[in-house]
Amino acid sequence: MSKSLLRNVVGEYMLTLGNKNYKVVIVNADLAGTCRNKSFWEKFPDRAFNVGIAEQNMVSFAAGLAHEGFIVYAFSMAPFITMRACEQVRTDVAYGNRNVKLIGVYAGVSGGISGATHWGVEDVGIMAAIPNITVFEISDANQAKRLLDFSLDYDKPVYIRCGVEPVEDIYNENIEIKPGGSYTVVEGYDGAILCSGVVVQYAVAASEKIQLETGKSIRVVDMYSIKPIDKEAIRNAAQTGNVIVAQDHNIIGGLGSIVATVIAQAGIKTDLKILGIPDRFVPMAHAKYMYHKFSLDTEGLTTKMKSMLQKVTPQRSK
Amino acid sequence: MKTVKELDKAAMEIRVNLLRLCNREVIHIGGDLSITDVMTVLWLNQIHYDPQNIYDETRDRFILSKGHASAVTSFCQAALGCFSPEDVINEYATDQGRFSMHSCNLVNPYVEVSTGSLGHGMPVACGIAAGLRLKGNTSSRVYTVMGDGEQSEGSIWEAAMNAVHYKLGNLVAVVDCNGLEADGFIKDITGLNDIAEKYRCFGWNVIEIDGNNIAEIKNAFANLPQASSLQPTCIIAHTVKGKGVSFMENNVRWHTGKITEDELEKALSELYSAYERRWSA
Repeated sequence: MSKSLLRNVVGEYMLTLGNKNYKVVIVNADLAGTCRNKSFWEKFPDRAFNVGIAEQNMVSFAAGLAHEGFIVYAFSMAPFITMRACEQVRTDVAYGNRNVKLIGVYAGVSGGISGATHWGVEDVGIMAAIPNITVFEISDANQAKRLLDFSLDYDKPVYIRCGVEPVEDIYNENIEIKPGGSYTVVEGYDGAILCSGVVVQYAVAASEKIQLETGKSIRVVDMYSIKPIDKEAIRNAAQTGNVIVAQDHNIIGGLGSIVATVIAQAGIKTDLKILGIPDRFVPMAHAKYMYHKFSLDTEGLTTKMKSMLQKVTPQRSK
Repeated sequence: MKTVKELDKAAMEIRVNLLRLCNREVIHIGGDLSITDVMTVLWLNQIHYDPQNIYDETRDRFILSKGHASAVTSFCQAALGCFSPEDVINEYATDQGRFSMHSCNLVNPYVEVSTGSLGHGMPVACGIAAGLRLKGNTSSRVYTVMGDGEQSEGSIWEAAMNAVHYKLGNLVAVVDCNGLEADGFIKDITGLNDIAEKYRCFGWNVIEIDGNNIAEIKNAFANLPQASSLQPTCIIAHTVKGKGVSFMENNVRWHTGKITEDELEKALSELYSAYERRWSA
């Protein structure tokens, strides 16, 4: 398997979208380079706007362009586009239901040594709580491209979170994308790991490892559509009785919270473990170090799932 | 084109409607009254906007950045024929109504962009102006009306830089300089100082007028640079909060409020007699 840098894939694929549809415009806030939008800028200078270091203005400006019928892709780091410009997203994009695609790179702690200012570990909770916004997280290069293709014809606000750590290629180029969709990467019946983004590759490796070591089959579901969420996939996973939800996001408000709500409302009894970034500020460190520390990597997921599988079912007292 | 007298009469009638509404519901009466004259001239004499064809590509766009001036906007649109003034009065602040404390596009299609939170309208207007340019529309203008208190929002100045950089000569931003914000006089709250100088310094074409003088307003609008020009225009409208009603003028108490029957009677008689005085000679 080869690896991809999703930020590069997304940023550079904008050129393809720009060629496909003349209404595609990009708005940057001094991070066109960071967001890998330069090829679009060179080909379509009139359709590329840079508002300077002003994320609030970037989002409002994007809403204005969308008001005039353009398909607007606004790029920044996840924390800046979802937090600095949060109210602009809510009021100018979501309230008006504008055709603006918000792309947040540096999702989760993938910004690593840049530290907490440049991490986006709150973005899913924030974006998912805003009406009209569809929230996606990408885990693979082909998925990213198909999602961008899909977004072109989807006349609604979208938030796409994108990490900057390399990810294994998982999907072929025909993968289907839809709001409320998910993808079962590995089938399994003894337990399930529901995950998104950078974690999917680790979950696949963990599933293989557990199969080899214990013979147990662990399902891996890529919950790439975080809002709306694929409830059926969650209910089915919960039937295994051993569910781990893992995301590079604060354990509060992310995929774990959303999945737990679905399971609770369905009234399904299952063991459930939510893995993510703990609800405290963590000093800057490399992303890989943190994925290991917080059990989001292959080793961590393997250990956590094996301990779930080994649990002794308590005997009911008679 | 309407005469100054016709516009003055229309402004007086809009103030009458505002006060009638203010007798029934709490509205942002102070900031409605300060900008009534500008809004009247803008909506009844200036803007290219057909109530029968509100998605016409060639229309001018209006974005109410000071979203709390929703009542005066609705009465101006009523005067243009979008709906009747009685619709505004009857539906305002009702649970199924089209009109309320701020402008909402979900229920009122004549609202180009929903507003209420300050510092949003101006940057959205910049995006619209840039979008019109990109579409090759060289005739439509984008009008946005802000408050002077609103100038404290940093996003306004982000947009102010942006508008000049992208040479948005199709953008006309009006600042309703009534000197007051919700908590008191702006000069007692923050160091805003000379707004006109600030916009000039940012590179805007700045016009300063008495924003409660119909003739000056009409003249300022009539002499705007072409929409195809390359510099955005800022109209600094010096106004009086609560203009036209003696007990409301320049009084922070009337940022929002509701008036009694007696107060309504007094306010209306002041408006009528002031209008008579202006045009009796």
